[in-house]
Amino acid sequence: MNHQRTMFVPFAPRAEVAPIDLRLHCLELVSGPVSRLRHIIGQLDMNIGRTPPSDIIIADTEISRVHCSVAQRDGQIIVTDLNSTNGTFIDEVKLAQPTKLPVGAVLRIGRQEFRHEWRTQSEIAQTDEFDRELERANNYVRALLPEPRLGGPIRADWFLQPCARLGGDAFGYGDVTENHFSVYLIDVAGHGAGAAMHSVAVMNLLRQRALPDTDMTDPAQVLATLNDLFQMERHAELYFTMWYGVYDRRSRRLEYASGGHHPAYMVSADRNDLVAMYARNSLIGAVPGKTYRAESAVLPPGASIYLFSDGVFEIVTRDGAQWGLNDFLPLLRNQPAPDPLMLNPQPPGMTRSRQLFEQVSKIARPGGFDDDFSLVVLTFD
Amino acid sequence: MGMQFSAVGNITKVELDGRLDSVNVDRMETLFAANLVPAGKSAIVDLSQVVFLASLGIRMLISTARALSRSGAKLALFGAIAPVMDVIETTALNEIVPVVRTESEAIALVST
Repeated sequence: MNHQRTMFVPFAPRAEVAPIDLRLHCLELVSGPVSRLRHIIGQLDMNIGRTPPSDIIIADTEISRVHCSVAQRDGQIIVTDLNSTNGTFIDEVKLAQPTKLPVGAVLRIGRQEFRHEWRTQSEIAQTDEFDRELERANNYVRALLPEPRLGGPIRADWFLQPCARLGGDAFGYGDVTENHFSVYLIDVAGHGAGAAMHSVAVMNLLRQRALPDTDMTDPAQVLATLNDLFQMERHAELYFTMWYGVYDRRSRRLEYASGGHHPAYMVSADRNDLVAMYARNSLIGAVPGKTYRAESAVLPPGASIYLFSDGVFEIVTRDGAQWGLNDFLPLLRNQPAPDPLMLNPQPPGMTRSRQLFEQVSKIARPGGFDDDFSLVVLTFD
Repeated sequence: MGMQFSAVGNITKVELDGRLDSVNVDRMETLFAANLVPAGKSAIVDLSQVVFLASLGIRMLISTARALSRSGAKLALFGAIAPVMDVIETTALNEIVPVVRTESEAIALVST
């Protein structure tokens, strides 16, 4: 006799299973703005190039229309050059055949460098959030920087390109008194939020002209006060270099001092003279009670002052050579003369500082800026 | 970037090799300080094989010199090649940390 029995079997309680946090292959832009540009490599092959039908389109004249392909094979990323004009490189080795792109390796096409990262989705979310915070911090620093001065007897423009992460450069200019105009540039040693916060703290004091018992028209005094206020042991072992100058409209004399900073340069209107403006002093924050000294020079009509951070010239060239200050200086002399009447108008946004950035970018290896690029150009009619 | 530690009598000698740039300094700074500061002995740093000195490298040297001075010890640098010496001169680093040409000068300087 068959006994049919109905058995009630309780469902075993379902184990709490965490959602699978899949790892994804990503190509992340190594250099460029603070925000991380990321391309996720899926199961389908992708072509990278300058124009459609490439899947990833990059506006770079050194990239061919369809430059290379990136494919996933058995969990590995394989890169194939598609007969591009300028070649495809992995860790600076030119590809002659389809080649594996290891995690952590750098893929270079044209002037763009991408690092291969293998990230979980939660890591991507975290880095995206971190990048957004850095972007906000970067925007805050930029909001403190002065507006370009396109007209008037003292004209000014600047260009700032932070390194891949937030940097520690800051600068400013403006009237101190009716007759005195000041300009400065700060370069905090280090990168990231700490260096940026340090430069903002210094910049805010200077903007508010809030240095205690200090004549803001006296560069030596300004540097000495900052040195006492920002000693390294009280500021997370951070020091900074600085160039500070004050121009007297009545005498056309520029008085200046450097605190561990390389010279600013004066270029005459006819571009024949290139003069280093340098008063050697200790960097700011290392030794308390230091005395600083200043120098001065009279600016001829139409002279320009170029003030910049070391990130402008401490680059590695496309040939792998280390550049230095003396390599950069010929570019200053070769800049077009000031054009106050706009007889030779440049494209919108193509200021002299930006032109110099473009010139140095062409010399630097892709991703060759390890530090902030900060450059201020002033012209005194 | 290479880093070798050895003893010269009661002095620690550090030989650095390569680029003292931000990436390398990030990697080596802790090890550099950990091998010098707790011992509290005077130290000399051979820069002859250093081809590039960035601001973070300068910070590492200054911080170590300051930490050693708190325990009565000294730090001296020697052997810098011309491009590195240019950076040292421009930043006036040698007003904070003594920089000499030879190892024997450096030993004499920290032994006094």
